Amino acid sequence: MKWVLNPYDEFAVEEALRTKEQFGGEVVLVTMGPARCREALRTGLAMGADSSVHIEDDNFAFSDNYVVGKIIANEIKNLGEYDLIFTGFKIIDDESVQVGIHIAEELGIPHVALVSKVVRIDPDQKRVTCQKEIDGGHVIVDVPMPALITCPDAMNEPRYASLPGIMKAKKKPLKEVLVDDINLEALGLSRESLGKDGARVKTTSIKVPQIERKLKVITGKDNPAVKGDEIIESTHELIKLLREEAKVV
Amino acid sequence: MSNEVWVVADLKLDGSIRKVTFEALSEARRKLVGKIGGNLCGVLLGSGVSNLAPELGKYGAEKVYVVDNELLKDSNPDGYTKALADLIKKYEPYIVIAGNTNLAEDYLPRVAGRVQAGLTMDSIDLDLTDDNRLKIQRYSHSSKVISTQEFLDHKPMMTTVRPNSFKPEEDQKDPEIVNESVDFNSEDIWTNVVEIKAKKSDLPPLTEADRVVSGGRGLGSEENFKYIYELAEAFDAAPGATRAAVDAGYCPYDMQVGQTGKAVSPNLYVAVAISGAIQHFSGMGSSKVIVAINKDPDAPIFKKCDYGICGDLFELLPPLTDEVKKLLQD
Repeated sequence: MKWVLNPYDEFAVEEALRTKEQFGGEVVLVTMGPARCREALRTGLAMGADSSVHIEDDNFAFSDNYVVGKIIANEIKNLGEYDLIFTGFKIIDDESVQVGIHIAEELGIPHVALVSKVVRIDPDQKRVTCQKEIDGGHVIVDVPMPALITCPDAMNEPRYASLPGIMKAKKKPLKEVLVDDINLEALGLSRESLGKDGARVKTTSIKVPQIERKLKVITGKDNPAVKGDEIIESTHELIKLLREEAKVV
Repeated sequence: MSNEVWVVADLKLDGSIRKVTFEALSEARRKLVGKIGGNLCGVLLGSGVSNLAPELGKYGAEKVYVVDNELLKDSNPDGYTKALADLIKKYEPYIVIAGNTNLAEDYLPRVAGRVQAGLTMDSIDLDLTDDNRLKIQRYSHSSKVISTQEFLDHKPMMTTVRPNSFKPEEDQKDPEIVNESVDFNSEDIWTNVVEIKAKKSDLPPLTEADRVVSGGRGLGSEENFKYIYELAEAFDAAPGATRAAVDAGYCPYDMQVGQTGKAVSPNLYVAVAISGAIQHFSGMGSSKVIVAINKDPDAPIFKKCDYGICGDLFELLPPLTDEVKKLLQD
């Protein structure tokens, strides 16, 4: 078995490593982004991943999720056979939840989003059973492999890279892929569809949200904290403010 | 290409329509439909959902597309993907909107990929550019900034909207019903739903709640979290928590509010024993009124709240809970 993943966060790496420990196989990290992503790949390799692929080219900067999903899916195809792909549920800076699922769509394989627990992997039947979070509860689903799993925050406790792990990571393969290495036409893309100008959605401005807060804090007379009779007085006062001033109860 | 603006209904586990659907219909009517010169339409996907169409009409839907199919039960994301992608290909809507729920985060990126549409998630503002391209605002970078994003002239333009961002407003219509059958092949549905565990709770869901009461690590134990549940119940609020409290095992992950948990935007947010770290604020900083209860007078939250009491939560919460109960029962 071979495991491919897209390390937007370390929960995905940890889950892949645990899967490898149980079933054997190989963990390959795949990412797309600027030079600083190299550091993240090194961390993943130091945690125990076997090799990595870094798609790095200025032409890709600010590409939309559709394009990023297509390019990463294409590199995964180039790696050969795989059984499971783990990605982070969300990218922290852009807060996009989309790329992982785009990769699954592009590869034509099932995805399971927001998996809080991989319940069982059956290598013979080639099926994976997961517990996933849904609005108002959770659900147990199973899907055929290969499959893509998106990993939320509470899924596991990622390991720290050990010193020998860090030393070993320096010798592990790190493949670089540039735009010229990719046959864009075969993917239905062109140079124009890449980057900010080709993006289906682009950010035109940003602002810092400003919400004025009232900052009315009730404190005690002698100490900062309310004590004794002040406790009841403070809850009265709070309820009064919520009713009459804020009008939220 | 049609000039239709679609709002895809989000259903709860009990089969009723979520409030965010009515919020999206209302805002689409106020901000988008008139300027485009189009029609407001609802989309109902599910099993046994046909009878829900009039509810969408109540909030202004002039037409409702219905795909009622056994294979869409349990909100199967594969079935939803296939059904919505097929509808979009056939009718070519201008804009497609849904509530930002776990389900939407699950299947809509897949739909967008299949129909090659642009998609933004969790919008808090909907608007159009001068040439009628969709323009939205959303939080990014741990909610430290609000980004304005514009779509290319490439349809459909798709977005999800954050619950509690828009005012639901009735506008009674008698919608035309368009029943669509979708041909599912066995390979369209990969996901086999083995078991659904609905949370037993009469309290509103966290992301849609009008009020939220959250606790931090200062609660000290899982048992002590009852103080949070009791105050939440008194307020008819959803209970929430910080990552620290979840990591300590005091409550389940689905209660986590913040950068790596849920984003909420209620009218009232009560933060108990929560210091006010930026990671937590990124999930609740847009709440209308923030109340802080903390024994540390230097807690950062006292610099970013509306009302606060400095004191011991174990002394404050029982009388506060009683008072809220009395008030809301009257």
